[in-house]
Amino acid sequence: MNQKRAVFLDVAGIVGSAVLAIVCGFVIILLVSDQPFQAISSFLAGPLSNAFHLSTVINKAIPLVFTGLALAVVFQANVFSMGAEGQLYVGGFAGALAALYVTGIPVWLHVPLILLCAIAGGVLFGAIAGVLKARWDANEVVTTLMLNYVAIIMTSYLVNNVFKDPASGGYARMAFFDRDLLLPKLSGTFPVHAGIFLAVAAVILVYVLLYKTKIGYELRLVGKNDKFARYGGILTKRVVVVSVMISGGLAGLAGIVELLGVHGTYKDNFSVGLGFDGIIIALLARNHPIGVLLSALFYAYLQVGGQIMQAESDVSRELAIIIQVLLVLFVSAQAVFGYLKQRAILRQRKPSGEGKVNADVV
Amino acid sequence: MAGVCDTMTVLLQMKDIHKVYPNGTAANRGVDLEVHEGEIHALVGENGAGKSTLMKILFGLEAPTSGTILYKGEPVRFKGPRDAIRHGLGMVHQHFMLVPSLTVSENIVLGDEPRKGWFGLFRDRDKEWKDIAELIRKFGLKLDPHAVVDTLSVGQKQRVEILKVLYRGAKLIILDEPTAVLTPQETDELFHSIKSLVAQGYTIIFITHKLREVMEISDRITVLRAGRTVRTMLTKDTTKEEISRLMVGRDVLLRVEKQERQPGDVVLSLRHVSATDDKGVPALKDVSFDVRGGEVFGIAGVEGNGQTELVEVITGLRKATGGEVRYLNENLVGKSIGEIRSLNIGHIPEDRQTTGACLTSTIEENLVLDIYRLPAYKRGPFLNRKKLKEFARTMMKTYDVRAASEEQLAGSLSGGNLQKVVIAREMAKNPKLLIASQPTRGVDIGAIEFIHREIIKKRDEGTAVLLVSAELSEIMSLSDRIGVLYNGELVAVLDNTDELTEQEIGYYMLGIKKAEKEATAG
Repeated sequence: MNQKRAVFLDVAGIVGSAVLAIVCGFVIILLVSDQPFQAISSFLAGPLSNAFHLSTVINKAIPLVFTGLALAVVFQANVFSMGAEGQLYVGGFAGALAALYVTGIPVWLHVPLILLCAIAGGVLFGAIAGVLKARWDANEVVTTLMLNYVAIIMTSYLVNNVFKDPASGGYARMAFFDRDLLLPKLSGTFPVHAGIFLAVAAVILVYVLLYKTKIGYELRLVGKNDKFARYGGILTKRVVVVSVMISGGLAGLAGIVELLGVHGTYKDNFSVGLGFDGIIIALLARNHPIGVLLSALFYAYLQVGGQIMQAESDVSRELAIIIQVLLVLFVSAQAVFGYLKQRAILRQRKPSGEGKVNADVV
Repeated sequence: MAGVCDTMTVLLQMKDIHKVYPNGTAANRGVDLEVHEGEIHALVGENGAGKSTLMKILFGLEAPTSGTILYKGEPVRFKGPRDAIRHGLGMVHQHFMLVPSLTVSENIVLGDEPRKGWFGLFRDRDKEWKDIAELIRKFGLKLDPHAVVDTLSVGQKQRVEILKVLYRGAKLIILDEPTAVLTPQETDELFHSIKSLVAQGYTIIFITHKLREVMEISDRITVLRAGRTVRTMLTKDTTKEEISRLMVGRDVLLRVEKQERQPGDVVLSLRHVSATDDKGVPALKDVSFDVRGGEVFGIAGVEGNGQTELVEVITGLRKATGGEVRYLNENLVGKSIGEIRSLNIGHIPEDRQTTGACLTSTIEENLVLDIYRLPAYKRGPFLNRKKLKEFARTMMKTYDVRAASEEQLAGSLSGGNLQKVVIAREMAKNPKLLIASQPTRGVDIGAIEFIHREIIKKRDEGTAVLLVSAELSEIMSLSDRIGVLYNGELVAVLDNTDELTEQEIGYYMLGIKKAEKEATAG
C-alpha cells in the first residue's frame, strides 16, 4: 500500500462519513419537523448565505484550529493528552495578566509579549503532565483530565476573587483589555478577527515542524513505534515531554486569541469546551495540520448552521450536535476504512508484484 | 467407513481458499491442500506465503473470504478452535500456550478436567492422573505429569503441547514450525514421536521452512508461494533444490561460499559482563569474549539463554549490571543508545517488526534513522528532504529492496524486503562492528542468500561481525568461531572447523557439556 493511496482512502472515508452523518441528520429533520426543507436549507446554506454568517463560521473556527493543532501534535506522538482545555485556560489567563498588568510598552511589543506569555503558560502547564508521564509513567489521560480541573477551578477562583474587575457587576471577569491590544476585525461587513492569520500561520508552522524538521521526524517516529525510535537512539521520553509542551503552547494560544479576538477580557468559563472540541477536530483531521484547518472550518460550519436553523425553522440547534456526534462515530469506525481498503484490493485481484502480498506471520 | 479410495483416504481437502484481511492484505489467493489419512504432510513456503493464515482458517480462527473445506468428505467450516477440536483437529502452536505455574497434568486437562460428584462439581484428580499417566505411556513421550511446566525444557514443553492435543482426541495434528526452538537432539526426539504417532494412525500437517526436515520426515509436500499452492508432490520424488526453487520461484544457492578469514585487531571485547532480564532475574553471567575485525563470531544457543540480553547490553538498550564492554578504545557501558549508534556500530535487531523497523512509516523514514541527524542532510533548521529521498533511493537500489517507491509503507513489504531495508540502513554506516541478531528469521530463501552474502562481504572488508542466531545451520555456515550460551553463561568458544558437528554444539546448548574455560576467566 502506497502512502498516497492510504491518504486518499483516509480522506475519502472522512468525507464519506461527513456526508453520511449529514444525511442521517436530514432523516431526523424529516421525522421531527413540519417544515423540513426550510430547516435543511437554513442548515446547509445559512452559514454561507452572507458575509456576516460566513465570518461567524471563521471566527468560531479560529480557536478550534489552535486546539485541533495542539491535539494533533500530541496524538502524533502517541500521547493521549486530554489537557488542551486546561492548558487553554492557563495560557489565556497568563496572556490576560500580561495584557492588563504590563504597561508602558508600545503595542507592537505588547501584543507579541501577551502571546508569548500565553504560550509560556500553556507550555509550562502541559509540561507537568509530560514530566509525570516520562518520569513516573503516569497515564496521561488521567493526569491531563485531572489537571484540567486544577486549571479551570484555579483560574476561576482567581478571576472571581483576586483579579476581578471591580466594575464588572455580577460578572466574573477581569478588566477590559486596552482597545489597541485587541485583534482587529478585517472590516465592518466581514468581521473576521485577525486571529485567522495567526491560525493559518500556526497551521503552516506545525506542518513544517512535523514534516520538515528533525524534532518532527522524531516525534512522529516515537508516536508510531517508540521501540524503533529508542533503538535508533532517539531520547523517546524527552520527545514525549516536548510534544506535550508544544501542544500546551498551541492550546495557550487558542485561549489568548479567543480572548483578544472575541471577548476583549478574561471571562470565567470562556472556553466552553474548545479544548475538547479540539480532540474531535484532530480525529477528523487524522492529526494532519492541513486537515485540522479544514475540519475546524467544517465543525464551525455545522455549529453556525445549527444556530441559523434554530432561528429560521422549528428544528433546534441540538441537531447540529447530533450530526457532530454521528460524524465522530463514523470516523472512529475503523472498520469502514478496512472495508474500503479490502474492496479496493479485491477489485484489483490481478496480482501486481511483490509487496502487495504480505500475509501476516505469527 | 464409506468413501475408501483405492490406496489412501482423503482426510482433509481445502479448495481454492482465498483470504483478504480488512487491512487489504491478500494472504491466501487460491490455496489447495489435500491431506491423506495417516501421512505426514509438510506445508512449506516462505514467510508470507500464507501458511499460517491457511492453518488459522482451517482451525476456525479466521473465516476465509471464499473457498471450501472438506473434512472426512463433508463440507465444514469450523466456528472456532473449540469446534475444530471437537471434530478431531489439534494444533501445536509455534509459541507455547501453557500456564507456567501449573503442572504438566494440569496443563493438559485445562478446560476439560475430569469431573465427579453432583453436576460435576468437583475435579476428579485420581482419574486425571490415571488418564495422563496412561496417555504419556501410550505415546512414549517421556514426561513427569506432576512437574511444574516452568521447570521444563523447551523440548519437554512441546511434548506437553502435543499431549494437550492428543488428550482432546485430535486425529489430525498441525505442528506449526515445531523445530524452530529445538536443539538438534530435541528435534530428533520430536521426529521419533511424530513417526510413532503416524504409526498409530494419526495424521500430521507439518509446517516448516527447513528443507532438510521436510526431506527427512514428510511423506508428501505442498509448496505455497505468494498465497497460492504451487505444487503438491511425494517427498521421495523431489529434492531440496526443487522445493526451494518452487518456494522462491527461481534457482537458489543454498550453500554460503566464503574465503579463509583474515582476522585483524580486536574490535569488540567483553569482560565479565552480567545483566538481568526484564523481571530482574540474572540473564547474563560473567560473559567474556573478543571479536576481531574480519571474523564472524557466532553465538549459538537455545533461545532465551541470554542472547537477547547480550545484544541489548552491547547496543545500550539494556544496562549491564557488571563488567565491561570495550569497542575499539571505548567502554560502551554507560553510554546512551544514540552515542553507541553513532560509533559505527551496525545492529540488525532480532525483532524486525517492532524494533528494527517502523511498519507504519515509509521506507524512506525507515532508512534515514541515522543520517537525518547529520549536518549534511540539513538545510538550515530543516531536513533536506531531497537529499534524504536520494539516499533512500540509492539504498533501495543497492540492497535490492523491491518496492514501488520510497514512499511505500514499510509494513507492506514482505519479510525479506523489510529485512533488506534494515540491513541497508545498518550497512550504510560502514560499520566496524556489525551485530546481526536472527538476521534471517522469517525471511524467504532468496533473501537469506542475499543477507548471508552481505554479512560475509562485510567480514571480508574487515568488519567484526557478532552473529546471533537460533538456526544452528546458519551459525555453522557463517561463523569463524562459535560461542555457545547456556543459561546466561558462555559455556564454550569453539573454532568452526570441518570436524565440528551440530551434535557437538548441541551438547553445549543443552548444558550437557561445558568447556574448561575457568583458566581464562580468572
